[in-house]
Amino acid sequence: MKVEKSLPQGVGKFTPGWIVFIAVAMVVLIIGVLAYLYEANMGLIVTGMANIGTQGGATWGLYVVMVEYFIGVSLAGIVLVAFAHVFDIKALRAISRLALLLTTCSLMVGLLAVLIDLGTPIRGIINMILYVRPQSPFFGTFTLVAVGVLLSSLMYLYLDGRRDAAYLADIDSGLRWYHRLWAAGYGDTQAEQERHRRTMFWLSILIVPFVIVALSTEGLVFGIQVGRPGWFGALQAPDFIILAAASGLANLIVLTAIVRRVLKDDSTLIGPAVFKWLGGLLLAATAAAVYLQIVELVTMLYATPGNERLLADALLRGPYAWIFWSGLFLVVFGLTLLVTQAARRQWSLGVLIIASVAISTSVVAERYLTVIPSQTHGMMLPYEPGSYFPTWVEFAVVAGMFALGALLIGLFMKVFPIIPLDGKRAEQEVLVDA
Amino acid sequence: MTRYAMAVDLDLCQGCRGCMVACKVENNTVEGNFWMYVFRFEAGTYPDTKITFLPRPCQHCDNAPCVKVCPVGARFKREDGLVLTDADRCIGCRYCELACPYGVNYFNWQKPEKAQYAIVDWRDESIESVTGGLIPPYKNPDLDELWGDEQRRTAGGGHAKGVMEKCTFCVHRVEKGLEPACVDSCPTNALVFGDLDDPDTPMSRYLRENRTWQLLEEAGTRPRVYYVGGTPPTRHQTEIERPKATV
Amino acid sequence: MPETFLGMPEITRRGFVKGSAVAAGTAVVASTFLFKTLDGVAVAESVAAQGAVEDFIATTCWIGKQDCGMIARRIDGRVVKFEGNPTNPRNVGTLCPKGHAQIQAVYDPNRVKWPLIRTNEKGVTGEWRRASWDEALDLVAEKVNEVRARNPKLVLWQKGRSKAKDFYDDAFVKSIGATKIGHGAFCSDAGYRALEYTLGPHAVLHPDFRYCDYMLSWGWNITGAGGNKFCWLTWPRHMVKARERGMKITHLDPRLRSAGPFADTWLPIRPGTDLAMAMALCRELIAHGYLDRPYLTTYTNAPMLVKSDGMILKTTVGEGEEAEEIGLVWDEASGAAVPFGDAESPALEGEFEVEGEKVKPGFQLFIEHVDAYTPEFAAEITGLTADQIRRVADEFGSHAKIGATIVVDGVEVPYRPVGIMAYHMTQQDLGFQTARAITMVPMLVGAVGAAGGQMVDFTWKIHKNYAKFEKIKVEDPPYDFQLKNSKYFPINTGHPGIVAQTMIDPDRWGVEEIPEVAILHMVNPLASFPSRPEYLKSYMKFKFVVDINPWLSETADYFADVVLPAATIEKYEGPTSATDQYIDAVTMRIPPMEPMFESRGEIDIYMDLTERMGVLYGEGGYLSIVNKELKLTGTEFELPLDQKPEVRHIFDQWAKGQGIEEGVAYFEDPNHGVYIKGPMKPAEIYGYVTEVPFGGVIHRLYGESLLDAQRQMIEKGAEKIYWQDYTAFPTWRPQTMDSSPSEYEFVLLSYHQIEHKQTRTSFIPMLAELAPGAPLDMNPASAARLGLREGDTVTVESHNAITGETRRLTTSLTLIESIRPDTVAMPHHFGMWTHPQNEGQGPSANEIYFTGEGYTSSTADQTFHVKVKVTKGGDA
Ligand SMILES: Nc1nc2c(c(=O)[nH]1)N[C@H]1C(S)=C(S)[C@@H](COP(=O)(O)OP(=O)(O)OC[C@H]3O[C@@H](n4cnc5c(=O)[nH]c(N)nc54)[C@H](O)[C@@H]3O)O[C@H]1N2
Ligand SMILES: Nc1nc2c(c(=O)[nH]1)N[C@H]1C(S)=C(S)[C@@H](COP(=O)(O)OP(=O)(O)OC[C@H]3O[C@@H](n4cnc5c(=O)[nH]c(N)nc54)[C@H](O)[C@@H]3O)O[C@H]1N2
Ligand code: SF4
Ligand code: SF4
Ligand code: SF4
Ligand code: SF4
Ligand code: SF4
Ligand SMILES: [Mo]
Repeated sequence: MKVEKSLPQGVGKFTPGWIVFIAVAMVVLIIGVLAYLYEANMGLIVTGMANIGTQGGATWGLYVVMVEYFIGVSLAGIVLVAFAHVFDIKALRAISRLALLLTTCSLMVGLLAVLIDLGTPIRGIINMILYVRPQSPFFGTFTLVAVGVLLSSLMYLYLDGRRDAAYLADIDSGLRWYHRLWAAGYGDTQAEQERHRRTMFWLSILIVPFVIVALSTEGLVFGIQVGRPGWFGALQAPDFIILAAASGLANLIVLTAIVRRVLKDDSTLIGPAVFKWLGGLLLAATAAAVYLQIVELVTMLYATPGNERLLADALLRGPYAWIFWSGLFLVVFGLTLLVTQAARRQWSLGVLIIASVAISTSVVAERYLTVIPSQTHGMMLPYEPGSYFPTWVEFAVVAGMFALGALLIGLFMKVFPIIPLDGKRAEQEVLVDA
Repeated sequence: MTRYAMAVDLDLCQGCRGCMVACKVENNTVEGNFWMYVFRFEAGTYPDTKITFLPRPCQHCDNAPCVKVCPVGARFKREDGLVLTDADRCIGCRYCELACPYGVNYFNWQKPEKAQYAIVDWRDESIESVTGGLIPPYKNPDLDELWGDEQRRTAGGGHAKGVMEKCTFCVHRVEKGLEPACVDSCPTNALVFGDLDDPDTPMSRYLRENRTWQLLEEAGTRPRVYYVGGTPPTRHQTEIERPKATV
Repeated sequence: MPETFLGMPEITRRGFVKGSAVAAGTAVVASTFLFKTLDGVAVAESVAAQGAVEDFIATTCWIGKQDCGMIARRIDGRVVKFEGNPTNPRNVGTLCPKGHAQIQAVYDPNRVKWPLIRTNEKGVTGEWRRASWDEALDLVAEKVNEVRARNPKLVLWQKGRSKAKDFYDDAFVKSIGATKIGHGAFCSDAGYRALEYTLGPHAVLHPDFRYCDYMLSWGWNITGAGGNKFCWLTWPRHMVKARERGMKITHLDPRLRSAGPFADTWLPIRPGTDLAMAMALCRELIAHGYLDRPYLTTYTNAPMLVKSDGMILKTTVGEGEEAEEIGLVWDEASGAAVPFGDAESPALEGEFEVEGEKVKPGFQLFIEHVDAYTPEFAAEITGLTADQIRRVADEFGSHAKIGATIVVDGVEVPYRPVGIMAYHMTQQDLGFQTARAITMVPMLVGAVGAAGGQMVDFTWKIHKNYAKFEKIKVEDPPYDFQLKNSKYFPINTGHPGIVAQTMIDPDRWGVEEIPEVAILHMVNPLASFPSRPEYLKSYMKFKFVVDINPWLSETADYFADVVLPAATIEKYEGPTSATDQYIDAVTMRIPPMEPMFESRGEIDIYMDLTERMGVLYGEGGYLSIVNKELKLTGTEFELPLDQKPEVRHIFDQWAKGQGIEEGVAYFEDPNHGVYIKGPMKPAEIYGYVTEVPFGGVIHRLYGESLLDAQRQMIEKGAEKIYWQDYTAFPTWRPQTMDSSPSEYEFVLLSYHQIEHKQTRTSFIPMLAELAPGAPLDMNPASAARLGLREGDTVTVESHNAITGETRRLTTSLTLIESIRPDTVAMPHHFGMWTHPQNEGQGPSANEIYFTGEGYTSSTADQTFHVKVKVTKGGDA
């Protein structure tokens, strides 16, 4: 008999469930990739997009909706972790890595969506380096978001995981080299711990405003467009942030619930307090989102005749009404569930998940309504209203994006514990038959 | 210095859309792309109705939102006022299209050869024997050249998949001392083009002698296209006789 | 380079093996694939540096009827663009959308590429085999000669909307002795007959835009079509200039769209009621004294004394050979009836007794005739208000400046700056008489032939029909298959629809011989002309049909035995007048490139055909007639009659005969292209000041011989429906279609679109893109009443008020406010099926229009109106 340390949380073990999950994700991803290759060959003609104006289309379609959505989702994770660090909220510690992972993956997918939407993607990367104009909003997407937020969340993830990596590096496994690399000489000495704590604290302080500024540029992409009724305005940036928070938290809740389920034995690591916190925050964000929506609705109802009116009509009773009203219904429904739970001081995981899914879906709808109608119904010259509906190619590519995100998280879970191990080392040691 | 501008006289315009076709043939634009577009509007109820026409090229704005948003400087304004797209630099992000309040930008959703009136089989052997396989058979060689001091690919030849295009004020003609194709062709001379800084051009005279207005003045874009006669379009007008405009 | 998935250049097997540096090459491949050409990668070259030859050649537009001057830009002999020729007075360097778009027609691979011979039965879509020119021409010559040997008149040569000068087809028709028919009343020939009858020239109304101050745009499709003489571009140019001068336009049309923004006043008149409107205007002008008495008494038969039997009181002047019957007028000065022209002050009003007979001046009869046409009466008929009618009369009368003169190019000309533009007003039930009625409006104020007033042709040349119509012959059967001089249509406008009907049932019409062979040239009856069912039946009766056409026409598809591919613009054609009414010029069409495929110009085809038929050479042959038509006979440029010339040579000789030293090269030269003869002189344009005023004819206000014809028709047993409109003055009667049941509540009319030319452009992709098909226009109020909405599929059912027959078509609905609520309209130009582009373009109104009794009236006029009902649904 020999006491041996094994990798925790199923890291390095391939369960049938996991294999099925990965296989399904791979299939969806491959379909998405094939759809994209088809698009790259044929041109964006295979999407539902068309030029605005005489062609009565939307030149930005589902891809840009997803860019907005994914980048929005990414916001919550990193801010939440920073928040937890600064205020030292222990309850949230368990999901800090999960949150950072969500941020990183959704950012990567979001940025990929930016490239997928370009007419000439490779030239896009090269010319962005050669000729970039900092005054353009696209610069914000590429530099602040792509480089800034993505790098900081990666760095955050890295620093945050070093302690665990150092621990794992002691365990004899096929992944040892990787854990060693991550740990990079971290020895978990007192001094190191202190330095680590301080770094994390200051990083957290700095990261919040930076991320908010960076992601606000995403809202500004729309807000500074004088030519688009419905876009031009100061509310675009805060609107973006609030919705980002709501969707991010909602997704984090669902993801946390899934992880909790998957980890079975380790599920106790994620206690009810986590969900209480998340539920409470989601409630706050959703309430703000609903408030903004209602302000918007009232403005629309009183829209003066002209371009804004046309747009309002399209949203309230026109071709987009079904999206608008179901979106509004979903978010109000989600909010109601959250409020009743909060009032009763009793959080049921099932109801929380339902609320989260409802809210997250409503944010997709909201993003859709931000991007599309201003193009089809927001012309300042009296062009006839247009229409846009995504094609199967766009749906397949978007499904591929989700699959890619899921795949990244799934793979991560097999190479690194998704829940921080801090202070639980001893319990990880189990007896194994020689 | 040269400052190019265009005037559109709505008292003369017959709404014939000849300018649209002139532009298409000159610039070999693909099906569904109208660098020049002529609105036909109707307003009022029977029998008190009004029919009006409104040609709409790119406004070559002095304060061009499309230029501001271009991430790579593919959309730029020349010193003489032409707002052009460098087809070799454009990354196809379509920001300019969204930024433009006039709806004048056209993205190439597919290979232009495929979008060139595909109802016709331009690959027909007996046509290729005459045209050497060019699509369209009336392909204008000027469009492949580099133009201006910048020597950039700015004429219609930029037609390439994934790249943005729009009215160029016929840069390749203007550089040769010719009028833009639409202006040259207008049966009632409703379109005028020329140098604003030279007081003797018909263009300058036109502006001196007529009261002008600009499209969407409120957008602050400061267009280089001046309208004479008629009235600015409003939402009370309904567009009639829309062309088939598919991508 | 062949391309594969991802658009990458195909990597051939050899290339792949050899290219071990695939990895290194990836960058290059990627750069062409995704970057296309990155900055600096591709170096473009100028046209010259590309080694291409650029040149220019002058030619003329092949699509339209006014042959606008064009310059073709060529790169290595390939035409890349047509532009307007600035020296051509008609278009002055500009072009309409069709002018530009025809470049796609030239390169259209769906043209007929080589001669085709039919391999299946007729009456259904054709199946064809490719034939050599020799085989096809031999076959045509043989078949035609077979019939010619029996009776050359049974060879029918049919043409539609003509272009250029028709010397070469006339030479063909004359040399083989065939019968020629044109589009006749399917365009506006009834109007031409009306003016030949009333004023003398072969003409239709248009104003003198140079001086006109007030114009009635009477069914003129200002922004969509041409009106008379011109295709489109020239009149609108004149019009905008006139408007800048201050000319006002009153637009009489059930649709406002035709005038666009150019109508100062829109009078949405009920279709087919223009005669009543014109007569009411005449009444009001008379009532307010807007009369040019000197004109009426000097140049019209208004003062001639009419007996109670309706015939003019005449006397014979001159003797023997010189003897001439001339009407008498009442001279107020002498108080006696004297021959027209001899009176000091001829009476226009009153009743007189001459040789015991009560007589009245024609004008007195006119006053009495129009008295019934009060504005209120006309308002009831036309759907306008009495006030509107009064206002137009007042504006017209007051703008006419009766009595004024103006000096034009040093010549003093009466000045009446009011005019009317009306061309297709003859396309209605009362067509011929409507054209006469509308002409009477400017006649009353003396505006006909005055500066600023009513112009007709470009010059005041009197047509031979003027004299012919003095005595209209009504003969007994047998009639020829056009029913010329028949009791049905004693004045015969020429109407292909009548030929179709006499062919279907010769006995009913008293016709003995019907044509056996048809040669179709630039005509497509099955698509262009109303009443397709008649053509379907009649063309089956031809023993042999040949179509000379760049495309497979619908008529050829069903009936041609042989199709000969004609070139489009790539041929010599002309000479053509290039006048814009004010500058005299001549031009011609020059092939800007070699004919595409195996197509050939018509002159080549006709020379080959006549050669094979044995009528090319010698006196009376094709060449000798060409000589005559081009006025080369007897000159040094005469073509020898024993050798087949190059077509270019024919034009070279013609040009030299015109005194142009360079010959045809002058016209090919992009700096010329047009031969300008100089400004038109007032004496050519203005009837008042021609050498003999108005060419020496008396304008017929009073239509004595029409009344005479009516009596003869009755006598010969013609039915009322044929003789009812042969009246001395235009007389309103309810239209035939008005007796259709009331459920057929709309009048359907059709109109031309600026983007299309008849049925010869709808397959040109750039034009089809701009004007994609044939919807039904309807007023939203009517649509709401019927529960119809924009874009709905609707069935339009027409009703023949005479036979009770109904016909149907299905199309989509478009709502437009600018149309009368009791009228629906469709663009012409569609309803074809042989070209792939025709797919989905929708039907033609011609499918449900009618020809025949009640719809073909008077002088063989053709109405383009029918009563219809519109219901939702139908199979589109
Ligand atoms: N419903 C309705 N019907 C109408 C009208 C309307 O307004 N409404 N308009 C009427 C009028 S005004 C007219 S004038 C007639 C015209 O009627 P058409 O003269 O019959 O019609 P087009 O379409 O001009 O020409 C017919 C044929 O000429 C062929 N063609 C074209 N170019 C050439 C050429 O260069 N050489 C030869 N050999 N053939 C050629 C075309 O392919 C086509 O098949 O239509 C009448 N029909
Ligand atoms: N673009 C273009 N130009 C053309 C042609 C073409 O096909 N396309 N065709 C050429 C030829 S062959 C011709 S004949 C000319 C024709 O030239 P137009 O005569 O100017 O043309 P249409 O389109 O027949 O116009 C007829 C107008 O009369 C109106 N209308 C119909 N019925 C009535 C009625 O009962 N009373 C009144 N008052 N108005 C009525 C219609 O609404 C329409 O606006 O155009 C020539 N030019
Ligand atoms: S060509 Fe001239 S008249 Fe015709 S639509 Fe264009 S601007 Fe107007
Ligand atoms: S009209 Fe639009 S595309 Fe043209 S310069 Fe102005 S903003 Fe740019
Ligand atoms: S589409 Fe091209 S021109 Fe337009 S903003 Fe993007 S890179 Fe610039
Ligand atoms: S200026 Fe040239 S590019 Fe612009 S609309 Fe006119 S023809 Fe087209
Ligand atoms: S107006 Fe007629 S002749 Fe002139 S370019 Fe247009 S179609 Fe040709
Ligand atoms: Mo016609």
